[in-house]
Formats: sequence, C-alpha cells, structure tokens
Amino acid sequence: MSHSDTIPLHPSSQSDIDEIENLINASPATVLPARPPSPPRAQIPVSSSLPPPPPKPAPPKPQPHSFPPPLPPPSSSVPAPPPLPSSRPEIAASGFGPAPNTLTEPVWDTVKRDLSRIVSNLKLVVFPNPYREDPGKALRDWDLWGPFFFIVFLGLTLSWSASVKKSEVFAVAFGLLAAGAVILTLNVLLLGGHIIFFQSLSLLGYCLFPLDVGALICMLKDNVILKVVVVCVTLAWSSWAAYPFMSSAVNPRRKALALYPVFLMYVSVGFLIIAID
Amino acid sequence: MDFNQQQSADENYGNPTTCFFHVFFKGAALAFYILFSFFVGNFVVIFVVTAVLAALDFWVVKNVSGRILVGLRWWNEIDDQGESVWRFECLDQESMARLNKKDSWLFWWTLYLNAGAWLLLSIFSLIRFEADYILVCGVCLTLSIANIVGFTKCRKDAKNQVQQFAARTLASRVSSTFQSAFTIV
Repeated sequence: MSHSDTIPLHPSSQSDIDEIENLINASPATVLPARPPSPPRAQIPVSSSLPPPPPKPAPPKPQPHSFPPPLPPPSSSVPAPPPLPSSRPEIAASGFGPAPNTLTEPVWDTVKRDLSRIVSNLKLVVFPNPYREDPGKALRDWDLWGPFFFIVFLGLTLSWSASVKKSEVFAVAFGLLAAGAVILTLNVLLLGGHIIFFQSLSLLGYCLFPLDVGALICMLKDNVILKVVVVCVTLAWSSWAAYPFMSSAVNPRRKALALYPVFLMYVSVGFLIIAID
Repeated sequence: MDFNQQQSADENYGNPTTCFFHVFFKGAALAFYILFSFFVGNFVVIFVVTAVLAALDFWVVKNVSGRILVGLRWWNEIDDQGESVWRFECLDQESMARLNKKDSWLFWWTLYLNAGAWLLLSIFSLIRFEADYILVCGVCLTLSIANIVGFTKCRKDAKNQVQQFAARTLASRVSSTFQSAFTIV
C-alpha cells in the first residue's frame, strides 16, 4: 500500500479500522509543534520534535502551493507509517483543542509565536549577528507587525514633541515612512533587483527601530547638540542595518542607486526629529 | 429552561466567543472612527486607535477566527530559493463538514460588510477632500481586502483539493476492487 503525502486517508480497505485505532492511540495530551508545514530552519522558535515535514521538493515557482494538514503526533504509539488524518472531534466544540498542526492550535500559542517572531526579526535585522551576510536568511519569516509598531511609535513621538500642528506632523511622518518604504522597494525592483516586496517592507520597517530610540531620546531631552549627535548615531545604525539586504538585492554596479534613496529617507526622518521642537 | 436556552444558543453558533471577537474588533474600529470623527477632531488619536483596532482585527481573523470558524488558513513563506510562496491550509473533509453553518455564514458576511463599510467611508472622505481621513480609511480597507482575498483563495484551494482527493479515492477504490476481483478469480 503506497501512501501519497497529499491524501489524508488511507486508500486501502483497512483504512477505517486503522483510523479508529489511530484516533484512539493518539492521545490528546501530547503537545505538538505548532507549525509543522514550514521547512526546517534555524529561526523558528518552535519545539524541535518535528517529524520530517511533508516532502515538498518544492517547485521553486512561487505558486500558491496547498496541501492538507499533515502530520501525526511524533510521540504517539501509532505503528502505521502513513500520516494521521487530523480530524479532531473537539475542534468545533471547544475551539481550542490540542494542536496537531497550526489549524487547531490554541490561540495563546499563535500569539506567542507571533510575538517571538517579532523579537527574533528585530534581533536579526538591527543587531550584529552571524546571519547578516546572507540576507536571504535574514528576514525569511517576515512580518509586518514590527514595522507597524515602529512607524506608529515614531509618528507618535514626533507628534508628541511638536508643540503645534500635531496631527499634521503625525500624518506626514506616517505617510512619509509608509510611502517611502513602498517606493524604495519599487526602486529596487525597477533596478532589476531580486527582492520580495513584503520582505523588503518588513526590513525597512525594522530598520526604523534605531530612529525610534533616537526620537524618544530627543523627545525627553531638548538639547540641540545632543539631538544632532543622537540622530547621527541612530541614522548610521539604521543605514548599517539596511545596507546588507539592499545591496545584495541588486546588481553590484547599481548598489549605490539602490542604497542612496534609503539613506535619503532616513536622513529626512532624522531632520524631522531634529527640527521638531 | 435556562439550560435549554443556553444549549440552543450554543447550537446556533458553534463558537460564540470566537464569533464575538470576530465581529467586535471590526465593529469597534468602525464605531470609533465614525463617532470620533464626527464629535472629536483629534486626528492622531483617531488614526492610531482605528489603525490598531483594524490591525488587531486582521490578526484575529487571519489567525483565530479563520481557523476556528471556517477551518482555513493562509500565509506567506519564503522558501530556500528566496522565492515567496503563498501557503493555504484547510481542515480535512470530515472536520469541514462538521463546521457550523452559522459560523461560516457570519464569518464571510462580516468580512464583506466590513470591507464595504470602509469603502463607503473612504468615498466620503474623498468627497470631503480630507486627506488625513483617506489615509485611515485606506489602511483599514487594505487590511480587510487582504483578508478577503486570502481566504477566498484558500477556499478555492480547499475545493480543488476536495475534487482531487475525490478523484484519487475513486481511482484507487476502483483499482483495489479490480485487484480483489482478480485475486478471487
């Protein structure tokens, strides 16, 4: 009996009996990894007791690639090798049953997973780490939550520091940063570079973190010299964070063309921070 | 009597808490936006609160109510070659059949109505030339549309899978019947 990984049920006539046995044996008390379908990589903060993920000799084409929820609990005593159908009767009733895959994991797990992803993305982008030279790995698990928080925080800080026209300041800051990130990404794409749109947006958003810190310091201390120094330092830090990703995405002869607008955007945000009083 | 009423209420909606949250954030964002833009003029507060509520709603729909109410999930991954791949996931057939009809009706309809409401509000702010408010409406509209597109693709994918699975099961059943017929003979 051959089993195909895309079919959740056994094709043989033993299937019903086996299924029932599997359901009985797979005890709901086993806690399962929250995200089995992802390819194994270093960054995902998920328990590593992962059974071999469904073999996707993944077609490198970026097509929507679907597959049914796969895998049996690794610690169950099920002897049969084919994957267990993940029909859990308690899904509809309680809503938050035990988790054979991400579809039925408890909500708290999802929250924790997303929060830890934000933190790990931040660490990867902004702080020195061994993966910086390989930008493909850097933001593999992009998310837009971090950038959203940082942009809103920067806008709020600038708005708070402004003594007049607070709304305009906020709108300008938010619009500049959001539109700027989109335009910068388009710039790289038009230069013939290879980046993924959302990954780049995510990166540019995370690189705002140093400027956020700088804006916070400038808001608390109103000394011009201090502001200039702090802004210069944080500007350099942001640019350093964005550099590897942007420069590796384009042809080496066009690196400057791709990097210059990024630097320009951060400089203008820096000016906004200094000029607000 | 109370117990019976409770029972029937629960039988109507399979997951009342999830349904509540599904509707709550959408409603809160819309209500906050409408009330505050009429009565209080402070744009920053309106923007931040509405955007945060809309983002929370996006997250809740994508990660929680999509899973629980209709058994669908979608996300994007970057594979080893550096290409972006959209993934769609759905529960298998028995669980899908067991999903509450009222839950899924509520899910889809509130998604569409929410997007429609934000579209209307953005048209209003366009007419009034209030660029700030267009920004807010634009953000909320984008988030709603993203969810609609994601889940619709997911549902189509699920249907395709069902068809493929049915075809394959049929084929394998037919072949196993032939095999058993031959062994008997």
